[in-house]
Amino acid sequence: MKNVIADDNSEIMRWLSPLGPRGRHQDVRMDRLDGVGNWLLETNEFQEWRSNEGGADKAILFCYGDPGVGKTYLR
Amino acid sequence: MIDDLCDKPFDGVAATAMFYCDFRDQQQQTTTNIIGAILKQLIVRSEVLEDVREAFQKAKTEVGGRGLRLPDMVQMLRQAVATLPQVFICIDALDECLPKNLRELLVSLKDILEESPRTRIFVTGRPQVKGEITRHFTTVIIVPISPKTDDIKRYLEEKLEMDTECDAMSDGLRADILRLIPQRIAGVYVAESAVPTPCMISH
Repeated sequence: MKNVIADDNSEIMRWLSPLGPRGRHQDVRMDRLDGVGNWLLETNEFQEWRSNEGGADKAILFCYGDPGVGKTYLR
Repeated sequence: MIDDLCDKPFDGVAATAMFYCDFRDQQQQTTTNIIGAILKQLIVRSEVLEDVREAFQKAKTEVGGRGLRLPDMVQMLRQAVATLPQVFICIDALDECLPKNLRELLVSLKDILEESPRTRIFVTGRPQVKGEITRHFTTVIIVPISPKTDDIKRYLEEKLEMDTECDAMSDGLRADILRLIPQRIAGVYVAESAVPTPCMISH
């Protein structure tokens, strides 16, 4: 019975999307040096976004920069 | 950042989903597939799984097991996000999406936010996508990213530490590297190929 459910779930996963983003996250995580990008967590912008107090008005945080500045490796 | 959100969700009930856009995979990274990939990560929560399973069974009974269209997918994600107490969605490199997909993606995210304003969305991209984002989200919080001197120093120290030919390095040269490279990057940010940046870190 357990296997039937597992098969069913993997079929649902395929139905939803062929893309699997977790793999890339593992790569980034392994490559990243501890502490790099931590400064973002201390910024007012990040705190404001994360605190939830602004509701939908403060729901999106956009970090932009040129290629290679380390956007992917923010922590 | 994703690790931080996963490790310390503030009330212990937040769910996190992430996606990395990749220009090499643009064909497959359609908006529908991206939204689906986000939904897949929320399915680990049993309350979401039940709803999706129901939709799946229903779709299966239709002729030919109809594939999902974008509105169906967005509706399912909307419902999933609304079911959960709080969801973080992180999407990296929006500039690597096709322009049509980027627009659809932003509209879909807006849709989800309207129903669940507690959702927190974190996105990154090159400066050129800023206009498109602010067009859809007038109150977006924006943080410019540039290489930080501390990050570069930490990276250089790690690299020097791992140097297999440390005899070839004099103390003077080592000191110069640690002083000059961060200084130069802080002064003028030049192309990524010319200097090591946090993005090129590897162990």
